Amino acid sequence: MPQAAISVESLVKLFPPARTGWRAFLQPFEKITAVALDGLSFEVREGEALALLGANGAGKSTLLRILATLLVPTRGHALVAGHDTVRQSREVRRQLGYHAGTDHGFYPRLTARENLLFFGQLNQLSRSAAAQRISQLAEQFHLGESLNRQVRTLSTGTVQRLSLARALLHRPRVLLLDEPTRSLDAIAAAEFRRFLKTEIMRDGHTSLLFASHALPEVELLADRLAVIDAGRLLACDTISALKRTTGTSSLEDVFLRITGHDVSAVHGDPAV
Amino acid sequence: MIRILRDLLLFFWRDLFIARTYRAVFVVEAVEALFGSAMFYYVARFVDTPELQHSLPQGGSYFAFSLVGFVFLDYLNAALDTFDHSLEEARDSGTLEHLLVTQTSLPVFLVGSAIYPFVATTLRIVVYVAWGAALFGFPLHAANWIAVLAVLLVTLLAFSGLGILSASYLLLFKKGNPGKWFFLGVSSVTAGMLFPVGILPDWLQFVARLNPVTYALDAMRASLLGGADVAALWRSLAILILFAAALLPLSMSVFAWSLRRTKITGTLTHS
Repeated sequence: MPQAAISVESLVKLFPPARTGWRAFLQPFEKITAVALDGLSFEVREGEALALLGANGAGKSTLLRILATLLVPTRGHALVAGHDTVRQSREVRRQLGYHAGTDHGFYPRLTARENLLFFGQLNQLSRSAAAQRISQLAEQFHLGESLNRQVRTLSTGTVQRLSLARALLHRPRVLLLDEPTRSLDAIAAAEFRRFLKTEIMRDGHTSLLFASHALPEVELLADRLAVIDAGRLLACDTISALKRTTGTSSLEDVFLRITGHDVSAVHGDPAV
Repeated sequence: MIRILRDLLLFFWRDLFIARTYRAVFVVEAVEALFGSAMFYYVARFVDTPELQHSLPQGGSYFAFSLVGFVFLDYLNAALDTFDHSLEEARDSGTLEHLLVTQTSLPVFLVGSAIYPFVATTLRIVVYVAWGAALFGFPLHAANWIAVLAVLLVTLLAFSGLGILSASYLLLFKKGNPGKWFFLGVSSVTAGMLFPVGILPDWLQFVARLNPVTYALDAMRASLLGGADVAALWRSLAILILFAAALLPLSMSVFAWSLRRTKITGTLTHS
C-alpha cells in the first residue's frame, strides 16, 4: 500500500486561554486548555488534493501550521511523507511548500527576485536552479515586470502571487496552502487554479492540502473534502459522495447540512 | 559544512542588500563617528592631567582610553542586541514563519542573522578609530592587530550567548529584556569603560572581577594601546573562552526550549 502524503491521527491541539493585563505576561507558562483541534484523523494520498472547509476559527489554519512544523500538537501524530512533524521536522520541511493566507512574509526592501532567490536557496536550490525556476514561475504567475521591483511597491495581489511562487520554488511533494486565492482578482485566481490543476497536480506525485472559503475553488481542485467545525472532523469524502449522503445538490448546502446549520432557514423553506 | 557556510552567507547577503537600500545611513554613521571621536577628544583635553595619564593602565591619553571603552561598549551592545533585533524584525515582517519552514536550521538562522550586524559594528568601530587616529592623534603605532582580532572574536563568542538569551526572552515575553539592560548597566559602571576599575570601592571592584566584560576590555586596551600579544593576554582570553563555552550551549538550549514553547502556545508570531 503506498505511503500517505499526509497522515493525521487523533490530532489534538490546545492553546492557553487568551489573557489581558498583567496575566498576559504569564501566558507563555499558562496551562493549555482552549481546544483548537479535537481528535482529527484523516489521510491525504499521494497525488491527491484535499480541501479543508470550515467556518472561521474551525481549526483549518492550526492544522496547516502543525503540518508545516510551526506548531506542536498537544496529542496525536501528524506525518508528512512518513515523517513525524515533531520528531523529524527537518525531513518534513524538505517535502513542504507552505503558503500562509494572511502573512506573506517578504523583505519589503528587497526586490521580488531577491526574495525568491533567498528563500529558494534556503530550500537548497543552487543559485542557477533557483533563478531558472523563478523565471519559469514568473511567467506562470505573470510576475515578469514585478520581479525587479521592491516588494514594498507591489500590490497585495502581486505579493500573494509571489508567495504562491515561493511555495512552489523547490518543487515540494506536499503543498499546504491556506486560502491560496484570497487576495487575487478573478482572472488571477482562475489562472492559479488552472496552473495548480494542470501543471502541479498533473504529475500525480504532488499532494495538496488547502483551506478555502471559495466553494467553486474547492469544487474545481479537490478530489476530496474535509469539513471541520470547532476542531472536529465532521466529514471527509469526495464531493459527489457528500452531496449524495446529505441529499443536497450544492456544495454550500453540503457544508451547511454537515455543520448542522438549517439549510431551509438559510434559503427559505418553501413549506413554511 | 559547505551547505552551512553557504546558508550563513545567504543571510549576510540578504542583510547587505537590505542595508544597500538605505545608502544615506552609511554617510550619517561616518559623520556621527567623527562627532563622537571629536567629543571624546575634547572631553579628554578638558580632564587630562599627567596624574590622570599615569593612573591609566597603559599610560597615554585619556582620549585613547575612553574611545576604546566607548567603541567596546558599542560592540558589546551589538552582541547583546543583534539576535533579538533580528528575531523581532523577522517576526514583525512575517518572515519568521517562512524562514522556519525552509530547510535551514535554527542555529544557522540565528548566527546568519548576526553576521551583518557584527560586520557593520566592526566597520563603525574602524571608522571611529580612523577618525581618532587621523584627526586627534589616537595612537595606533603600538597596536598588535592579531591580538586585537583575537580579542574581538573571543568577545563576540563570549557575549553572543547573552544575546541569544535575550532573543529567547523576546520569544517568550514579546518585548524588552530587563536582563540585557541590567547587564549593560552593571558593565558600564564596573567594567572600566570610561574610568579605571581601580577608582571603584572594593565591593564594586569585586563585582568587576566577576564580570567578563572587564577582562575583555582590559585585553582590548592592552592589545590596541599597549601592543600586548596573544600570549600576554592568555588569562583574559581563557576567561572569555570559558564564559563562551558555558554560555553558548546553554543559550542555544534555552532558545530551542523557548521556540518549542511558542509552538506549543501558538505565540510564535505574536508581538
